[in-house]
Amino acid sequence: MIAAAMPPVLDQVKERFPDVTVQPVLDAIPTVWASAATTHELLRYLKHDVEAPYRFLYDLSAIDERLHRNRGNGVRSDFTIVYHLLSYDRNEFFRVKTPLEGEYPTTRSITDVWPMANWYEREVWDMFGIRFEGHPHLVRILMPRWWEGHPLRKEHPSRGTEMPRFTLPDDKMDSQQGQLRFRPEDWGMASGTEDRDFMFLNVGPQHPGTHGVLRIALQLDGETIVDCVPDIGYHHRATEKMGERQTWHTFIPYTDRVDYLGGVVNEMAYLAAVEKMAGITIPPRAQVIRVMLMEVFRIMSHLVWYGTFSQDMGQLSPVFFTFNDREVGYQIIEAITGFRMHPAWFRIGGTAMDLPNGWDRLVREFLDYMPKRLAEYDREIMRNGIFRARTMGIGECTREQAIEWGMTGPNLRATGFAWDFRKAQPYSGYEQFEFDVPISKRGDCYGRAEVRVEEMRQSLRIIEQCLKNMPPGPYKSDHPLATPPVKPRTMHDIETLITHFLGVSWGTPIPPCEVLGNIEATKGANGYYLVSDGSTVAYRTRIRTPSFAHMQMLPLLANGGMVPDLLAVLGAMDFVLADVDR
Amino acid sequence: MNWWAEQPNTIPARSVEEENVRRSVILSRLQDLLSWGRKNSMWPFNFGLSCCYVEMASSLTSKWDIARFGAEVIRGTPREADLLVVAGTVFIKMAPIIKQLYEQMMEPRWVISMGSCANSGGMFDVYSVVQGVDTFLPVDVYVQGCPPRPDSLMEGLLLLRDAVGSERRPLSWVVGPQGTWRPPMPDLRDAHRPARTSLTVLRSPDEVK
Repeated sequence: MIAAAMPPVLDQVKERFPDVTVQPVLDAIPTVWASAATTHELLRYLKHDVEAPYRFLYDLSAIDERLHRNRGNGVRSDFTIVYHLLSYDRNEFFRVKTPLEGEYPTTRSITDVWPMANWYEREVWDMFGIRFEGHPHLVRILMPRWWEGHPLRKEHPSRGTEMPRFTLPDDKMDSQQGQLRFRPEDWGMASGTEDRDFMFLNVGPQHPGTHGVLRIALQLDGETIVDCVPDIGYHHRATEKMGERQTWHTFIPYTDRVDYLGGVVNEMAYLAAVEKMAGITIPPRAQVIRVMLMEVFRIMSHLVWYGTFSQDMGQLSPVFFTFNDREVGYQIIEAITGFRMHPAWFRIGGTAMDLPNGWDRLVREFLDYMPKRLAEYDREIMRNGIFRARTMGIGECTREQAIEWGMTGPNLRATGFAWDFRKAQPYSGYEQFEFDVPISKRGDCYGRAEVRVEEMRQSLRIIEQCLKNMPPGPYKSDHPLATPPVKPRTMHDIETLITHFLGVSWGTPIPPCEVLGNIEATKGANGYYLVSDGSTVAYRTRIRTPSFAHMQMLPLLANGGMVPDLLAVLGAMDFVLADVDR
Repeated sequence: MNWWAEQPNTIPARSVEEENVRRSVILSRLQDLLSWGRKNSMWPFNFGLSCCYVEMASSLTSKWDIARFGAEVIRGTPREADLLVVAGTVFIKMAPIIKQLYEQMMEPRWVISMGSCANSGGMFDVYSVVQGVDTFLPVDVYVQGCPPRPDSLMEGLLLLRDAVGSERRPLSWVVGPQGTWRPPMPDLRDAHRPARTSLTVLRSPDEVK
């Protein structure tokens, strides 16, 4: 449980802030408890003053600790705010935990240190009822404004069937629709200047250009966007609350539906954390199978983006072509996992089954088929004059802005910064594969497209290496916490059989600890911060998704452009609403 | 009503004139003609909530080709659409919006509930999800799956199509009971049972088809 050696940054922090408490953790991320008064200064120090600073606020969330049987390190806390920072220079995380006491505590906002903390703090307010002093606009973000209670508090009901039956009489519908009425002052928008009036345009929640249930309020001067404010939460599916109810094993299908185009990629993000907690080493064959399926899903997710983005830019044909290519990929996924979009096929400790006979033929066909298609799309989309005119120079951002606002994945790499978790902090054996991290120096919508197109080629390279070097051996670890255990293990005596039975019916208990697992998902950095108190379910499941941070950047990317540019920015961003709202 | 003017295996025409008449004249009732039109051109509303919408979009593309059944003309506004496919999770925050969109659709209008979430809440029995879209909308066809494959959606569409084709919507006031008559919807569980129970050997998952 105790990290091997104390990293030097902890010494520096202890020297500067003597009242912080260091907590030994399993995942070797330097972790300190800092009082609410100290936290603000500490975060400012870590962002600006420490050498190789932590410039990126990776995640900000909270834990309702009131029922926690294993509260950390003797620090008394009813609610804990958890800040995860990432330093690109060090390639290291830092975790700051702030204990708060009382039923509805208050702490100081860090929006003056990181503007991107805005939405994260709003989410903590919405979900836990913790107030942030100094926050510019502390209102609910995911739940509707009329909601009573804060869902991630332990006393809030989890099941829909525990709550009164849902009805929608006309007066309730009118009042709820009335609350959605757009009033510029509620959104912090002026209705005009001295010599002109602004026009306001409501886009969504039901709009073909928003790729799902997203609402955007536009403040327009003519056709120029003065300001735009995304309104989210229409796709909030309570996945984090679900993690407090489903066992470690039975939560896996829910992860698929977070970034619903990413399929097994989500499962890997979750399992990266769980397997670290359980201390399971994955057999090489399972690792390579996982990598292969993840890269197939990465290509398929990018193909949806490719087709719909070019459709947003006015091309009607490519979306049909790219969806047909997805069907070729689905043949692999279906043959191996038996399902299309949400396979739920990875298991704690490996995969559900071994590869079927003949899988290699399907993968080979896919590898032979795709490069020709990608070359065709280069001609059809990337070199198309209208497409270029509508994406070049649109939605630009610099590398500094991208880091400041928490941009990750292909969008970050389009600003010329080659950071990829698969290279920087490899998981599932990615360090053994040869591939490049494509970048673009443009920083605009076209640059984001260039990066994704090249990423598909790199994914094909990885799949080819999987095909050629698929190791023999077991597809699941024989560690006792692997769920469900490999069958022969259960056949020794009655004890192993009972263990199997309990693991399947009650779930596998994971030792008390907390772990952050990160992967490079299709849209950017996806992380699961899991807290166990030794039970068969997680005490807290926190999902850090890339699209949430990207969506918060929308005003930065779209302001000053024209209305049609907004669709280019949204299309190039490649978000999934389930990934924004969880 | 059949959509072709000629049928095979009919008595051969006795003259060229008779053949021409047969090729160009359809005898039908106006009511049947309208339901024939409705049945073969169900225009869905371009409306998606979550994962299911991706499979719904797949059903429009050429491998699945829902155009074969006349339902490929996706409309961007509810006022031009005949069919609302509730594709995905019905969130409590979205419910009033979904209802308003439904109310903006012109009669006659139909609803397909696509996927487990829309059918019953499915695996998302949680505070933010309505446990079934039928708590506030009338549903004509339920399509199961999470998400349903495109072929499941098309099976649901065919069921709806047959029902719409045999609906009775009087064109004006009629003697007797007023209003629309809709045929009872078949239960696919029962319809498929004989075929399912007769399956004794399943394909091994260890072999690629």
